[in-house]
Amino acid sequence: MTNAAAPARPALPPIVFGGIRPRARWREMWLLLIVALTLYVGSISLGATEAAAAGKSLTLSPAEDQPLAIYLGALLLAHLAQVVAGRRTDQVLLPATAMLGGISLLLMERLPQSLVSQSFGGLDLGLGQVQLLWLLLAIGLITILSIVVRSDSWLRLYKYTWAAAGIGLLVLTFIRGEDVNGARLILVIGPFSGQPIELLKVIMVVFLAGYLSEFRPLLVEQDTRVGPLRLPPLPYLAPMLVMIALALGIVVIQRDLGAALLFFVVFLMLLYVATARAAYVVLGLLLFVAGSYLMYRLFGVVQDRVDIWWDPFKDPSGNGYQIIQALHAFARGGILGTGLGAGLPLVGGQPPIPAVHTDFPFAALGEELGLVGVLAILGLYLVVIERGLRIAAAAADDFRALLAAGLALVVGVQAFIIAAGNLKLIPLTGITLPVISYGGSSILANAVVVGLLLALSDKGVEPPPPPRAGRRFARLRDAVGGRA
Amino acid sequence: MDPLILSLWLIRFAFLALLYLFLFSVVRILLRDLRVAAREPSTQLGRLVVVASPSEEPPVGSVFALDAVTTIGRDVNNSVVVEDQFVSSEHCVLTFRGRAWYVEDLGSTNGTFVNSSPVDGTAPLGFGDELQVGNARMRLERAHR
Repeated sequence: MTNAAAPARPALPPIVFGGIRPRARWREMWLLLIVALTLYVGSISLGATEAAAAGKSLTLSPAEDQPLAIYLGALLLAHLAQVVAGRRTDQVLLPATAMLGGISLLLMERLPQSLVSQSFGGLDLGLGQVQLLWLLLAIGLITILSIVVRSDSWLRLYKYTWAAAGIGLLVLTFIRGEDVNGARLILVIGPFSGQPIELLKVIMVVFLAGYLSEFRPLLVEQDTRVGPLRLPPLPYLAPMLVMIALALGIVVIQRDLGAALLFFVVFLMLLYVATARAAYVVLGLLLFVAGSYLMYRLFGVVQDRVDIWWDPFKDPSGNGYQIIQALHAFARGGILGTGLGAGLPLVGGQPPIPAVHTDFPFAALGEELGLVGVLAILGLYLVVIERGLRIAAAAADDFRALLAAGLALVVGVQAFIIAAGNLKLIPLTGITLPVISYGGSSILANAVVVGLLLALSDKGVEPPPPPRAGRRFARLRDAVGGRA
Repeated sequence: MDPLILSLWLIRFAFLALLYLFLFSVVRILLRDLRVAAREPSTQLGRLVVVASPSEEPPVGSVFALDAVTTIGRDVNNSVVVEDQFVSSEHCVLTFRGRAWYVEDLGSTNGTFVNSSPVDGTAPLGFGDELQVGNARMRLERAHR
């Protein structure tokens, strides 16, 4: 037994204004330099290909250098802000996310700009410009979260409030939402519209982390015995199961199958991370198989999706059209790809895949960058997951560990679900490819995830607050003057 | 070969190569981090951080590395000695069994509390939970990794 009496870290106030000590971040700077160089070369490649396709002579200048310059400038500012703030946060997450965002920017600039048109105050913006706007907001959000958030008690203490807010958001979407492709996805409140599911995935991870960290000791060791069977401790699992069932139920009624799958997979993963019991996972998978079969019989949408996945060539110009075009795109791309700007020949002025910017960016990248490029992109998602799990392993308490693991896994699992859907590995479900797909809600929600992960990775972060009930009773006892 | 097409090819491959250069740099950093983490001894099962201690022994902020069995009490033979008038000489014992931490009250006069609810016999303990013996409060934390 070593009685090492090292002084504890001094408690930091939630937000520090004075006494800031800048701290150099060489690794982040070096990685961001590579990101800038890569994106610049990518932009040149795009510009040269487009110029060659238009029959012009070869020019080694970027396609449109202004958006890329703005994006890289914002990254530089974010890096400098981190340096000035001087927190000891992770130095890999921001460059990895920036690379994904930059690839998204190149892709959105390259796709037909008419896919999205929005006008702000008389200014008409196309796909690439709107995406640039969202990416800039995302970089700002990441920077603010990673610098300002010093304590996680606002997440930890109000888990039921967060869960209630999430369910409320779902119900609101169900009542007032608008339909997209037969799924009720979009909520419009005044001038704002968005996909609440994206925000909901973050809220769900916060709730699960709070709940599991509170009941982890009980979940790990106690059993409910029914005859010879040893089942998990149902009284402790029930509230969480109800919450999850409610969320899944509403999501399924809304026909948002991708989100339902994502929620369920992340729920099982976090349960395993918290308890290290394989029995939970097996039980969950059995439930999943039973539930999927039930849904297959009950819902026409599920049946359609599975049938399309099983044999898209049965209806090649109707239901199976998008997935067949995606498969063709991957085939055209081959191993090395056609090069940025050389893929996706337009059919009548439109890309062959209508939802290429939201649901199928992975197929577009598969065509233009080939197997090699797509593997690199999957590698970037793996880097995000690895960093999240490292932050979780280094965390001092259960809540922070589960939160970090959950946040990283939700992004990673989402990426792999939609990538597998594009590849016809699993039935296609309409969710976004994190950070790469077009869409404000998706990009901002993932920015929240990355920002929180950065904040959690700070080694000098404020120690966790005492459990709430404890504090209240302790104050009472101190007032009485101790128990004799 | 047409120089135009050749240069287009070269730029394309330069982009892919740079993507992999980025991944390579990242992976090198990740590996270095992992090696540093692996070099540090990770035999620790957890740490006990003193949050409040009116008697100044142990002082607030001191950190105890925990073995699988850690005894807490006023007697000097305990692993963690708490010099407090409300602590019994053999107050409680912290044990790590398989997957989780437990605290067992050893029949102390004033009881042991986890998050301020009294421990009746043995109670499970999670990382981040607060343990109170007498007037001293201590938080169980995961070991540094």
